[in-house]
Amino acid sequence: MKMQVQLNVNDTTHQLEIDANATLLEVLRNLTRHQSVHRSCEEGECGACTVLMDGQPVNSCLILAASVQGNRIMTVEGLMKGDTLHPLMKAFTDELGLQCGFCTPGMVMSAYALVNQWEEEVLSDMDIRKAIEGNLCRCTGYVNIVKSIRRAKAAKDAGNWW
Amino acid sequence: MESRETRLIAGKGQYADDLDFPGMAHLVFVGSPYGHAKIVSLSVEKALAVPGVLAVLTGEDMVAHTNPLPVQANFKSPGWTWRLADVYAMPRDKVRWYGEPVAAVVAEDEITARRAAELVEVAYKVLEVTGNALEALEPESPKLYDDWEDNKQVHLKFDFGDPEGAFAEADQVMHITNREGRVTGLPIEARGCVAQYDTKMDSLEMWGSFQTPYLSRHNIAATLGMPEVKVRINAVDIGGAFGLKIHAWKENVVALASKLTARPVKWFEPLKDFIVTGPHQRDVFWEGDVAFNNDGTLLGVKATVTHDLGVESTNKGIAALSIFPACSAVPNMYHWKGMHIEGIGAVTNKSFYCAYRGYGKDKGIKFIEHALNRIARKLGMTPEAIRLKNYIQPHEFPYHQINSYVYDSGDYPGTLNKALEMADVDHYRAEKEKCLEEGRYIGIGVVSAIEPAGVAVPNCQMGGITQARVQITADGTIEIHSDRTEIGQGSEVSHAIIVSDILGCKREDILVKRVTSDYIGQGPLSSRGAVYPASAVAKAAKMLKKKVVTCAATFLKAPEESIVMEDGMIFSIDHPEEKLTYGQLSEKALFFPGPRGLPVEMLKNHDHLLDVTTTWYSPTTPESGSSYTSFCTSADIAVVEVDIETGATKIIKYVHVHDAGTIINKQIVDGQIHGGIVQGIGEALSERLDYDTDGRLLTTSFSTYLIPTAVEAPDIEVAHLETPSPFTETGSKGMGEAPIIGSKAVILAAIEDALSPYDIVVNDSPASPERVRKWVVEALKRQEEAQ
Repeated sequence: MKMQVQLNVNDTTHQLEIDANATLLEVLRNLTRHQSVHRSCEEGECGACTVLMDGQPVNSCLILAASVQGNRIMTVEGLMKGDTLHPLMKAFTDELGLQCGFCTPGMVMSAYALVNQWEEEVLSDMDIRKAIEGNLCRCTGYVNIVKSIRRAKAAKDAGNWW
Repeated sequence: MESRETRLIAGKGQYADDLDFPGMAHLVFVGSPYGHAKIVSLSVEKALAVPGVLAVLTGEDMVAHTNPLPVQANFKSPGWTWRLADVYAMPRDKVRWYGEPVAAVVAEDEITARRAAELVEVAYKVLEVTGNALEALEPESPKLYDDWEDNKQVHLKFDFGDPEGAFAEADQVMHITNREGRVTGLPIEARGCVAQYDTKMDSLEMWGSFQTPYLSRHNIAATLGMPEVKVRINAVDIGGAFGLKIHAWKENVVALASKLTARPVKWFEPLKDFIVTGPHQRDVFWEGDVAFNNDGTLLGVKATVTHDLGVESTNKGIAALSIFPACSAVPNMYHWKGMHIEGIGAVTNKSFYCAYRGYGKDKGIKFIEHALNRIARKLGMTPEAIRLKNYIQPHEFPYHQINSYVYDSGDYPGTLNKALEMADVDHYRAEKEKCLEEGRYIGIGVVSAIEPAGVAVPNCQMGGITQARVQITADGTIEIHSDRTEIGQGSEVSHAIIVSDILGCKREDILVKRVTSDYIGQGPLSSRGAVYPASAVAKAAKMLKKKVVTCAATFLKAPEESIVMEDGMIFSIDHPEEKLTYGQLSEKALFFPGPRGLPVEMLKNHDHLLDVTTTWYSPTTPESGSSYTSFCTSADIAVVEVDIETGATKIIKYVHVHDAGTIINKQIVDGQIHGGIVQGIGEALSERLDYDTDGRLLTTSFSTYLIPTAVEAPDIEVAHLETPSPFTETGSKGMGEAPIIGSKAVILAAIEDALSPYDIVVNDSPASPERVRKWVVEALKRQEEAQ
């Protein structure tokens, strides 16, 4: 069954005709063409399809697109300012927090939610590790990802953040 | 030019799933629900009747339109068993493993293809399953291949040095067994590709997660019966590979589907299928004796390693090939008198075996490192003492090991000593004793390893073939081609660094081209990136540099020896004020004035273009027959705490000291180390492919096949030594596999050390909580009985 929906992705409203049972992952990849949102396990275990919904990380493979019409969806494309990388993304490239890059956009969204909302002064490595526990990475052993997020927190503390 | 990392983090990756062509159809495979069964009937009528379905391919189509899969390795030689099966990409009459594809549905969109796939009707007659290698080798075991005598695919026998002499003079002999569970490398991205058959030109082009496009072209062309020149394979961004994307097989079916439907056809594999029908590894059982003297001197080994290869269906010998390094890795980095090693590979009703980081080297080293730790314990030595006593010493390189490998360079004692210092083992040993009094079990594992890298062996597709090209374009940008695909291991950055260092050009003016089948080579496997392709690229750049110097000397009217190239500028040291950019130089050489402005000799030699294509082959292999060129070194020390009530292992400290020769880029090397170590930890503690007695795989998702998350992964302390390899162009050594080799062994060693009060031998992996708990319960029972 087809239906009309309005989706807000990265502050742009998309008027779409979708299958009623289409997942947010399918709609983002195939209709709004946000291909940074990657498809892997399709059962909410790997985190490669992580996007933010009203600021919170969610697995877009587990969410029906029709159910998120009133919500703000955000992908890595929405973190960019034109061609300029967000300080968090810059931290990932500086610390080589990515290798094959497949888990990276989802990882970055989880990391963004963490750092963006972290009000306290100290962000421990275990805080970081717990926040990205739902994002599996097979290349990096997570070491440089943790370093990247630590660096991003420092950037935020220095006022370099949006 | 924008760096690859910047492009990927901005969400601009182009992975297989991102490929989109006008008029593209989608392919979905239908898998067998049984581990072993006859196909009694197969009907595609209902699937074909679904609107939007274009075709359904079956084993019949494979027989009608393709050749059997081509042989990739063939070591039939006197005294050795080496059997191959004559099979197609999909079977016609019999399935041999759970998930084996029996049909492929092609439809206008993926959802339609999935729905139609459920309507393919197959009637099976279930056959008895051969569940593991030891069972498979029993005389009454059901055979997988009717024309084979039995289920033994391979039996290799090696005599290294003087094994009989070693055992004759030994004070002691220890019997050792060691088992490893079946695992998969499992990158987060599964396999995928698009095939586009051009019916006018009768040619085929494919894009996808191809780790080795050149070999894939050969194998796909052979399967489809096409001339190779009409096939082109392109690697796109690859979401991790670790060896699992070397081997094209389902891709052959996608190619045929495009040919038969005259449409671009896309296949993106569901992750579950990647686990069920992807390459598997490990699953070996070692049994043997190690001979040594009372002072800890190592003398000899007699051992047999039996591999559960799964089916021999899809990669025609490449699985069995990994038995060679498993056997040959046993000597590791020590002096020995002699060894007799036998490698057996049995076929069973499981998914096929292929490459995964380690490729057998890990198995031989894990076996011998486990043995060394047990011998040390028996002799009252520390694990480091027995190693330091037996190491090949720095002055002995190049060292001809008893297995005919030529070890290039290294400082084995220096590497281990550095790790001991960093890990503060004395502190943790004291801690261990203290904790024991509180009923807590701390263990310290020590392991050291070499990593044979850059394979070149005869009678197979892994012969040491590689090609590279470096070209300066008319605008002065520089393009680099090679066979080394970027699978996340830093090929692109490494090659750009090598070339910019040699040519003095700017990194941002270099584009490392995506790899296609146009350039000959095995691609990145066997950690050969820093050995073969990097050497070929460096060699091409050095040859190109000579041409640049000649051209520049001509245009600047200066002697060649005065030419300097740095930071993108070319000038004569005699007149540094007159500088040429690469763009200016190239434009002069090509167009204004063009070749007529170059030296006569250069033109006579047909050597006038700023473009070099060359090849590289190991300098040691021709005369010594050494299968590998570089041997990096690592020492791993892990401190763990084992909770004997739950069986859970917690990693308290992890230290890794590495010597990969000259480091091209430290960040990349560190990244490889971290990633490999955590994969090894997964293998040691939690990863296991479990089949039930009917041959069905039970662990088919991330919730049952447990790879480490960020919480389980430890912090890792890394340090480097840099002992250059004399045999590669850059002094670098292959290093992608050493971290997994060391880490899986050291975690198990640390657990064994923690459980030493119970005299538990940790010789099976993964050492999962339930298994550790079982060992403890059994040990308690033994202790009770003894009292």
